[in-house]
Amino acid sequence: MGAALLGVLLTLTACMADKTDVSFNAAARTTTPMRVVTDDLGRTVKIPAKVNRVISLAPNLTESIFAVGAGDRLVGVTTFCNYPDEAKAIAKIGDTMTPNMESIVALKPDIVFVSTASQIQTFMTTLEANGIAVYVLSADSLQAVYKDLHQLGIIFDTTAETERLVDGLAEREQSIEKAVGSPIVNDELPAVHDKRVGVVKVFVQISKEPLFTIGKGAFLNDLIKSAGGRSVTENVGSAFPKLSKETALALQPEAIILSDSEDNREPNEVFRNSPAVKNGHVYRINADLLSRPGPRLVDALEAIARDLHPEKFPH
Amino acid sequence: MKRKIVIIGSVSLAALAAVLIAAAMLGAERLPLFDLNEQQRSILFDIRMPRILLGACVGASLAVAGAGLQSLLRNPLAEPYLLGVSNGAALGTMLAFVFFGAFEFSRPILAFAGAGLATFAVYRMAQSRSGMNVERLVLSGVIVTTFLSSVIVMMTTLLDAAKLRSFTFWLLGDLSQSTMNGVYISLVAMLIGTAILMSQARALNLMMVGERDAFDFGVEVGRVRLLVFAASSLVVGAAVAASGSVGYVGLIVPHLVRLSIGSDNRLVVPLSAVVGAIFVVFADTIARTVIAPRELPVGAITALIGAPLFIYLLRKN
Repeated sequence: MGAALLGVLLTLTACMADKTDVSFNAAARTTTPMRVVTDDLGRTVKIPAKVNRVISLAPNLTESIFAVGAGDRLVGVTTFCNYPDEAKAIAKIGDTMTPNMESIVALKPDIVFVSTASQIQTFMTTLEANGIAVYVLSADSLQAVYKDLHQLGIIFDTTAETERLVDGLAEREQSIEKAVGSPIVNDELPAVHDKRVGVVKVFVQISKEPLFTIGKGAFLNDLIKSAGGRSVTENVGSAFPKLSKETALALQPEAIILSDSEDNREPNEVFRNSPAVKNGHVYRINADLLSRPGPRLVDALEAIARDLHPEKFPH
Repeated sequence: MKRKIVIIGSVSLAALAAVLIAAAMLGAERLPLFDLNEQQRSILFDIRMPRILLGACVGASLAVAGAGLQSLLRNPLAEPYLLGVSNGAALGTMLAFVFFGAFEFSRPILAFAGAGLATFAVYRMAQSRSGMNVERLVLSGVIVTTFLSSVIVMMTTLLDAAKLRSFTFWLLGDLSQSTMNGVYISLVAMLIGTAILMSQARALNLMMVGERDAFDFGVEVGRVRLLVFAASSLVVGAAVAASGSVGYVGLIVPHLVRLSIGSDNRLVVPLSAVVGAIFVVFADTIARTVIAPRELPVGAITALIGAPLFIYLLRKN
């Protein structure tokens, strides 16, 4: 009895879903001309010629969309999206890992922007079944951020504004790199007592207890290189590894960057005798800057470069 | 009999010593046997040793609590985790993290309070007009455990992302946050708890036959229950505050011990302490070294060893 009832209910909802699906697609087909774009995964995505309503499922994407001048077309963002201030007033559809499907569909977006940080597969199918285009952005370096911004400029038809934005960001990046000096060509990690001028051995502390850091594959590795440093954990497996305290103590970093959050305000006890702590080279940088591959990644670069090489930034 | 005790005692203590020494020699950083420099001494004495000693205390604590509860409830599944004691302690520790983060001693205190409250709730729920019965007690334990699990899941969902990561790691059992202070707290709690359980070992032996029989022999059943519950809350509270939920120790170790020396609690309790210490130190050495310089949570290793071992023991009997 119960099973039969459940079966009926399921068929009913399936029918209803089918109907809305068809009408939605039909409306889209008849009223708006479509165009085709390619996302970071190489998928071809069909979107309306004029994009008016979009949802962002990651804070770095929200920042990018605002930066290219399309913030007013965001109808839904995640609870993590706290920048710029205007983003806080936009309807919340859950967080990046567990967005609410019903809220997303109800907002009738033209496109949902997804970062690879989400569990893409699980809801991509659901969204596409509802006739909503899914566009994946997966920037993990400054160059990739510029590329993503360009793509967003094309999607939102704000190419002139985007051009200016990216030129400005690239100019800042170059002037920072110029101030710091040429990036390291030699690909070896500096040895413990490396006296080469300019290469600062950096430990990035993501969490104090348990001790988490950045490892192989983290986009911060390249950013630190550009800022005239070298992450001492860049060869440790996985992007955000929990690190052995024994190893952490032996690393003897010259500078420690704290991803600033409530429980990560000071270096772990094991760094007590490291050059970084002894010389007071411990720096807090806003966790959002360090974790979001968006337009503010240049701010992160500048913050790191100024901390590691204050003498090279007189102003 | 006397000779057997001496042999088993010395063999198990020798095994513990061997495991402790091996654990001290293994780690993410390779250390020389002699002539350690200042940094190597710091790695050995400030990081590795406290962690090994804490692992031993946690293992001993969870194992004696399991041994005591299994005898008291005459139920082979009785375990700190199953009876809500672990989850009570875990919730208490989480509250300490969130609200009294700066105050180091808030963790063991709230963990003990949580373990005690959970145990008390289970104890009260199990009492009916006709007195307490064991089935009711185990059922209450399961209910309190699942309820507390839900509260913990809700709390981790509501906490911000950075804290979430450390909690999920901690909930799986993690010994990386060991300090000598933590070792002292756990050691004192473990010694007191084990002493209380030892003092009740004879009474527990009689109660394993049947509570009516024990009563006829002059055992104050209510008082024994209270003492065993209090001792379990104490040791489990201290262990969970130090290392999160390290599973399977309280379940598997007393079973192994009983299989090898019989069910006399005067032997089962102390031997469980030794074997529990060996088990956790062994598992944590794997957790520390197998993917070094990264680390695994020790709870994942105890479960990986414990679950198949338990199935094996089950099939063997």
